[in-house]
Parts: sequence; structure tokens; C-alpha cells
Amino acid sequence: MKPEADKLGVEMAGRSLWADAWRQLRRSRLAMACLWIIGLYAVAAFYGEALYLYYHWQDAPAPYNVPHLALQYQAPALGAHPLGTDGLGRDIGARLLQGVRIAFQVGIITSLIAIPIGVILGCLAGYFGGRTDDFIVWLYSTFASIPGLLFIFAIAMVVGKGLLGIYLGIGLTTWVNLCRLIRAEVIKHKARPYVQAARALGLSHVRIIFRHILPNVFHIIIVSFTLRFSYAIGTEVFMSFLGIGVQGEPSWGLMISNARLRLWYGVWWEMAFTTLVIFVIVLAFNLLGDALRDALDPRLRTRDN
Amino acid sequence: MLRFVIRRVWQMIPTVFGVILITFLLFNVVGGSPALMTLGKHVTPRALEEFDEVRGFNKPLIFGWWGKTRALATETFEHSAGSWRGVTNAEFVAGAGLRLTGEAPVPLAFPLLPTNTYRLKLTYRLAEGASAVFQGLEKQPLEFSKVWKTVVLDFRSGARPTETDLVFRVTGGALELRAIKLQRGVGQPFDSQLVFYLNQIRHFDFGMSSSLNQPVSTLLKQGIGPSLTLMLPILIGEEVLAIVLALACAFYRNTWLDRSLVIVAVALMSINYLVWIVGGQFVLGQKLGWFPVWGYESWFYLLLPVLIGIISGLGGNLRFYRTIMLDEMYKDYIRTALAKGVSKGGVLFKHVLKNAMIPVVTNVVIALPFLYTGNFLLESFFGIPGLGYLGINAINSSDVDVVRALVFIGSVLFVVANLVTDLLYAWLDPRVRLE
Repeated sequence: MKPEADKLGVEMAGRSLWADAWRQLRRSRLAMACLWIIGLYAVAAFYGEALYLYYHWQDAPAPYNVPHLALQYQAPALGAHPLGTDGLGRDIGARLLQGVRIAFQVGIITSLIAIPIGVILGCLAGYFGGRTDDFIVWLYSTFASIPGLLFIFAIAMVVGKGLLGIYLGIGLTTWVNLCRLIRAEVIKHKARPYVQAARALGLSHVRIIFRHILPNVFHIIIVSFTLRFSYAIGTEVFMSFLGIGVQGEPSWGLMISNARLRLWYGVWWEMAFTTLVIFVIVLAFNLLGDALRDALDPRLRTRDN
Repeated sequence: MLRFVIRRVWQMIPTVFGVILITFLLFNVVGGSPALMTLGKHVTPRALEEFDEVRGFNKPLIFGWWGKTRALATETFEHSAGSWRGVTNAEFVAGAGLRLTGEAPVPLAFPLLPTNTYRLKLTYRLAEGASAVFQGLEKQPLEFSKVWKTVVLDFRSGARPTETDLVFRVTGGALELRAIKLQRGVGQPFDSQLVFYLNQIRHFDFGMSSSLNQPVSTLLKQGIGPSLTLMLPILIGEEVLAIVLALACAFYRNTWLDRSLVIVAVALMSINYLVWIVGGQFVLGQKLGWFPVWGYESWFYLLLPVLIGIISGLGGNLRFYRTIMLDEMYKDYIRTALAKGVSKGGVLFKHVLKNAMIPVVTNVVIALPFLYTGNFLLESFFGIPGLGYLGINAINSSDVDVVRALVFIGSVLFVVANLVTDLLYAWLDPRVRLE
């Protein structure tokens, strides 16, 4: 749009949707706080990954997995173990950090599975209509009718316990909503003049879909990414907790599972810190998702403010 | 209206078919061998074969004349002799395959089925001058071949087969085998896993649980009661509370009450279910000793799980209903009602609530199938022997039939619930019918 405006010598006072959304987001202190928190967690996740890779490369047992039976159940105190130690004397802070790594892995990889499926199918269904649309609608309504958690667990069971099961379970079941939203939006855009102009210019379907329409529905993808991230994290915690998820690595779900029984004997710290860490990141993603939705969806904005 | 109902029921069929297809794909095609998954690798091939026989997993997948048998492991003799190790006159030669000289019995794990057709597929090479006979139950001479050659030998087993029926007799040289595969003939090509599964569904027979050794339908019948006693109070409590609070939000819109309720709702949504359960059991059950934390003996045992269920689902529902109520508040007819002097409370209860009932009904009806699937976490934590508990145990012990039945029935119920909502919609709102 912009170069054209320049050529015509017209002053365009408007801002793009993205710039506008960013301004609005910046204005909200809550949303910025959430962004900071998520950034912090992301840094922690990278640091955790680096540590993991380092020990993997050194072929040495990682310190967060090595038991020190002399240091069992150390209460949080300033010093070597600020967040205390667990039943095997392992540092809870270090294990939580690895938990961040796993949680982010799950969030990102499941998104990498679910979002392309949802976007591509949604675009195809909305753009081509007809038989394609019928087929894709049938596909997603079938997926949508299978109870979510049960479906995820069943996939994980079939694939086998471990991270792969989690990735595929969550990834293959959560594309439906996004697909539905994208399809509806693409149907709307298809009738717009800019798409008709592009078609009149003889552009290929692929180019119209991915260069012209997709940028206009991209905000849906962003919002959906934020909201599904917290869902993925929560589900991973469930699955690891129930023993069908992560095996042998410090995941939050496993930590809660370990901490649960100790809680009865007054060992509160593992439970407390783990739940706190989970709560903060999930809350941050939920709030950011809301803020993003408000910022990126102009319809909501005019109504609510 | 009748036409609408018929059309809508008709539309339901492809979805149900899709669910059948997906469960079939998931458990029969992608899942690898359910027998291995359930029984593990340390059982006899015979036990695996029996497991497969009961559940139809040894039939061809969709269509075909030949099904699997575990009587003889499929081998490709690339790196080792595999199950042929220790067979007399058979020797593994790296690079060539398995060399048979003289009389070599085929290592069958168990006798073949009596008077059944079988198909043996082998890739072999036979030196010039040597001769080899495959003594199935009829003799089958192998033609000499210098290069690797694949043949298919069909034969019929005798009336009383034993484990040593199949023998290779090689004279004057060596027979080299590179691959061998035994398949079992099925009576007719449509006797396949898919048809078997469809038949099961037709008879409402969901197979046998491998871990509990009971028919799945019995287990489902036993589990539904406890699940309902847990889930119904949760559903009712959650919906009523959420609607009341949402109305309060709409009534006191943009005041501190509304805002704090919204914040509370988001916070409630962000607390993991596990935290509610573990925290609730610890504080209310252990520390304060108000509730029992394990068992299913009287209504008293259900109080805490129900409470936790309500609290944990409240956040999302409250937000959802608040949005609906507020959506309705901005409609023109509400402005008219307010303008003509109807009190705010009157508008809220008479107009808003009535019109907001449509999405509310949808939400409730859509939640109904979850009454059936139960609640995995609550049930497994509080020891409530419902379907969620059954499901978690089945997943942990890879009990394919139970999981498949739960997935299938849950999905069908969901499809039916969807149908019911649509019909309710059409009944409540004539505009829907006309579309």
C-alpha cells in the first residue's frame, strides 16, 4: 500500500494495523508486563536448553538430575539452593528451569504442528469453497467431535510415552479452532475488491492466498498462538503428571507429582514454587492473548472502548 | 421443522463415519501392534496371536485375501538369522543370507490352523545342480535360479497340523534365503479389520479389556454411574454460579465488582487443575480435615471433588457468559426497553437473560458428553470408579479396546449433542430454520 501512496503524492496519515496494535499494546501496562514475563521465561528456556545441550555434549549427567542424598529436603534458604531441594537432594530452582525449557518446547513444537495445518486447511477451504470446503469442514468437524483430552491421551498412547506423544497429541488435535476462524475470515476476504483485483491481474491462486489474503488474517494466527501456548503448557503438565508424558526429565508435571506426597509431611516448597511458576506463565499468556485480541481486532475495540 | 430435522440428521452421518475412520486409523493403522503394546515383548507368539484373533487385528486392514500370522516371523536375513538361529542345517552367511543345506525345518512358533490356506513368500537363490523341495503339506519343488528370485507358494495345512510340518529339503548344494514371510488366508476378502470393527460397532460390542479381562461394555456400564454422580453436580453448580455472576457483571458493568470478577476469572483460568486438586486435598482434606480425600462410599466423599470441579471450571464459563450478556446488552431492543422506562433489573432478567439463553443452552448441551467421559483427574485422584478413572488406567496399561470405545462413544455423544443444540436453536429461534 505504502509505495503506491507515495507515488501518488498523497499523504497517508493512517497507520498499519500492526503499528496501531503495537501502540495500543504499549499503552497497556498489563500487556507489557506480560510480554516482559514471557520474554524472561523465554530467556530461561534458552538457558535451560543450552545447559541441557552442554551436558548432553559433554556426555555427563546433568547436575539437576544427579541425586545428592545428603541434601534431601533442604528448605529454601539463601545459599546454594535458594528454592530448596527435593526428595533426592536435587536443586529445585535448576529443575524448574529445565521445566521451562520443556514447557516452551511443547508450546512451540505443538504450534509448529497445529498452526500450519489449521492455516493451510482454513485458507484452502475458505478460498476454494465447493468440494474442498466440504471435505475440510467434514475433517474438522470430525476432529472437533472427539473429546479433546481423551483424543490427546489416545494419540500419546498410540505413539508411545514421551515427548513425541505429547507433541503429536496436542499438535494434531488443536488445529481445529484456528482452521475454523481462518476459513470464516478468508471467506469474507475472498469477496473483497482487492482479491478480485488480484485475480483480474491473473495472479496464481497460491500467490493470492499466501501473499494477499494471509497477511490480512495473520492477526488471528498470533492471537491463537498466544492462547494455545498456555493450553499446551497446561496439558503437558497434566500428561506428565499422569505418567503418559515426559519421562526422565524434569518437567513441571513430574515435579508436582513428586511434590504431592511430600506435601503431607510439610515439604511445601517444591509444590509451591512449581505451581507458582506455572501460574505466572499461563496467566501471562492468557492476559497477553486477551490484550492482543483487543489490539488486533478493531471490531472489539470500537465496541468496548 | 421436520425437513430441518431430517436434513440435520442426514448431515450427522458423515461426521459419525469420520469418527469411525479416525478411531480405526489411530488404533488399527498407526498404532502398530496393539498386542505388543498391551502384552509386551516377553510373551509367546501364540499369546499375541490369540490376542489378535479375539480383536480381529490379524485380518487384512481393509480388503484382501491374506492376513497376518505370528506362526512364523517375517525375516529379511540381512544382519542375522533372526528366528532361524539354531535351526538344523541353516547357517547365516553375512552378505548372502541364510544358507540351507540338507533338511531344515521351518521354525514355526505354533502349529498352523487346520485346513487353512497359507501363503509363503520367499526370496531365494539356488545353485545349479542343487535341488530343493519345500515340503509343506504338499510338496512344492523350487526351481533352480542363479539370481535372487521371489516366489509365492500357496498351500493348505492338513487336518492335524504340528509345529514341524514345514520343511525345506535341499540336496546337492545350498539354498540361500534372503526373505521369508508367511501369511494366513482368510475366507473372503471382506473379512477385514475395518469390517470387523464396523460389525462390532453395529452390535454395540466394544471388545474385551485386556487389562481387566471383562467386556468393555460391562466396564462402561459400571463406570457411568459414578461419573454421573460426580459430573452432574459439577455441571449444574458451575453453570448456575457462572450465570449468576455473569449477570452481576452485566448489571454492575464497569464498576469495581465487574472488573474484579473479570480479573478473578482470568486468574481462576490460569490456575492449573492439578493445583486445585492437590491444594484442595491438602488444605481442606488433610490440614482442616473437613472432607475425605479418597473413596466412593457416600455423597460426602463427592463434596470435595465437586467443589474443586466447580471452582476450576468457573473462570472460563464466567468470562464466556459475561461476553454473551454484554453482547446482548448492546442490542437495539435493550436500548428501546431502557428508553421506555423498564428498570435495569427488569431488562436484565426479562430481556437479556431470555435472549442469552440460546448460547447458554448451547454451552450446556455441548458440555453434556463430558458427563460421560468423566473427569480423568478428579476421578483418579479421589478414587471415584468412573469412566475417567477407567480411561486413565486403560491408557496407562495400553488397553486399546477400552480407549477406543471411550473415544468413539464420547465422539458420538458429542455429535448427538451438537444435533440437539441445533434442533433447540431451530426451535427457539425461527430464523435458523429458514437458512
